Amino acid sequence: MQEAPVSFKLRADRALADPTLKIAIDRTTGTAERKRTVAMTQFPQFEAARERGKRIKDHVIANLDHYLLEFERNAIASGAKVHWASTAEEASQIVVALCKQANAKRVTRVKSMLGEEIGLPHALDEAGIERVETDLAEHIVQLGGDRPSHIVWPSMHRTREQVSEMFKRAHRVPHQEETIEAMVASARRELRDKFLSADVSISGANFLIADTGATCTVTNEGNAELTTTPPRVHIVTAGIEKLVPSTEHAFLMLRLLVRSATGADVTQYTTFHCGPKQAGDRDGPEEFHIVLVDNGRTRMLADPALKEMLRCLRCGACMNHCVVFRQLGGHVYGGTYPGPMGAVLTPVFDGLEQSRDLAHACTMNGKCQEVCPVAIPIPTLLRGWRDRSWREGLEPAAARFGLGIHTFVASRPRLYRLGTAIAIKVMRLFSRGGLVRGMPGLGAWTKYREFPAPAKRSFMAMYKDSEGKR
Amino acid sequence: MSARETILNAVRAGLDSRKVDAEAARREADALLQDLDAIRPELPAGALVDAFIARVTSPKVAATAERIKDITELPAAVRRYLDAHDLPPHVALQPAAVLEDLDWVALETRDGVKPDDVVGIGIARWGIAETGSLVFHSGPETPILANFLPLHHIVMVRERSILAFLDDYAVAVAGQRPPRNVNLITGASGTTDIEGSLVLGAHGPAHLHVVIVENDIHGDIDADKSTPGASS
Repeated sequence: MQEAPVSFKLRADRALADPTLKIAIDRTTGTAERKRTVAMTQFPQFEAARERGKRIKDHVIANLDHYLLEFERNAIASGAKVHWASTAEEASQIVVALCKQANAKRVTRVKSMLGEEIGLPHALDEAGIERVETDLAEHIVQLGGDRPSHIVWPSMHRTREQVSEMFKRAHRVPHQEETIEAMVASARRELRDKFLSADVSISGANFLIADTGATCTVTNEGNAELTTTPPRVHIVTAGIEKLVPSTEHAFLMLRLLVRSATGADVTQYTTFHCGPKQAGDRDGPEEFHIVLVDNGRTRMLADPALKEMLRCLRCGACMNHCVVFRQLGGHVYGGTYPGPMGAVLTPVFDGLEQSRDLAHACTMNGKCQEVCPVAIPIPTLLRGWRDRSWREGLEPAAARFGLGIHTFVASRPRLYRLGTAIAIKVMRLFSRGGLVRGMPGLGAWTKYREFPAPAKRSFMAMYKDSEGKR
Repeated sequence: MSARETILNAVRAGLDSRKVDAEAARREADALLQDLDAIRPELPAGALVDAFIARVTSPKVAATAERIKDITELPAAVRRYLDAHDLPPHVALQPAAVLEDLDWVALETRDGVKPDDVVGIGIARWGIAETGSLVFHSGPETPILANFLPLHHIVMVRERSILAFLDDYAVAVAGQRPPRNVNLITGASGTTDIEGSLVLGAHGPAHLHVVIVENDIHGDIDADKSTPGASS
């Protein structure tokens, strides 16, 4: 969504130079990784469940028009109004128009990555509607005036000291004690009356249930229900790939989603929202709107190199386990979605030319695919973007030139061997204790990490010797 | 062309314009729900109610639980909870007849829950042993906010309405008109949004106490009547 102000490389350099950021990232992703590992050992059925989850999503995608229509029919029957949006702009226009129609002065929002994707925070601000983010992390992001840096922990780039300062500046009755408990209590006090006095609430959906027309949200804070109950109007925005056939299928997916996201077996609150308030109900909204958003998803469906990405549950496991994300954090990726899944999705939304660096910011270690609860082959999809970027001539001249030289040398064995023999000698000159810590021409690498010193002799040289001895 | 048509046409084109056979899709979807034991966690051996209590009181859910014989013992259980937590004798009741009809003796009760209530008392329609979850359906006797506003949430659930797995709840309500909200509540409200450290009482209740009633000859909450078989 947002225009990246500076190049990926510059953003990465800045992130690497920020010592607090690295600490903040490590704390959250480290905990997430440990908790997920424990959850997996307690759920030996995970592999079988993951295979089933993958098949459920593939089944839905293969019958997507059928499930979209079934969902629409049931949602309308429950009293919901269903809207369709092809693009991000269309989607946020629909939401803003619904807010204006409801004469909304104050809108409360439940964290939704799709809302970020379609630029909803900005659209609401532009329309002059007061926007209250109710998820604690999104509240921190809103106070800090920046963007989410993780899809599950949007404010993971902030330390407690920074949060404390923001709350003291913005809250009416801020915390006195410098503890996280006191800060959370301060946010609770600050937001409570806003929950109850909003005119419209906006949420996303973790699942859309085709056979009931319900939408499902999962949260730990309870902010979804406090947000979507008091206002007269509740608007849901959801991507068209969020469908599952039934509530039972949703539970199978939930087991995978929550364990992968936080390592818990289930979130504290799992809620199905079906239609508006019913006759006799004590509370709940009078109007319930669902905006179904395409924004590139049908293009992904038609593209064999991207179709599998439509299985994504937005759990964040891929980024928690990504060596690149854990060095850089989420903002560097420049799009709505960071990490490995973001590197696949961002070119769909922002164009490959803007975001071709993302597919390169990957070591291909395969960890993301390994932990993905629906087994998306993320490295393969990223390789697809690399291919496309090369074919479309988007790779910079220097890279093309360098690879040209490499091709020239590598396809001439004698020249290649001569080259490596010289390189080995030179690199060994600069090595100490088996590691090269600095060397002319290698600075970009050795600035952040060592380079292992090459072996005395190349494999080919040793192979030839042993062949000669036989 | 409307966005709806554009999207549906694009979906169909992406699927090579194959015509979906609704019956075949349904059969395939059903087949994906077979052999559930292979893809869900195992429950500990023994009675369902014990598995449920073990789960509710485990560090994963971190709630407290107790068993009473009969619903008439609920006010005394609430009293004990208030005393143990040094709380004033005011409680807000979920406006369910079955709660309102109880003899609350010296407790001051109020119908409906207010934003600043300290203790709220409710009835869950089901408990789920797999996750230690409590299931609520919004309705005339079950306002949604009653489960989210109080700081201490005391929830009664009948032993016979404890189900083994999440899937069993879905089966129990299949084919019925869903309420505005189905709320599955598992423990107190929490957040890990500041440096990943867990703090309870984020926006919802900070404490959850579950009271399991063994004997339930007394009346059901309203919506129970429309769900025969749900308790089996």
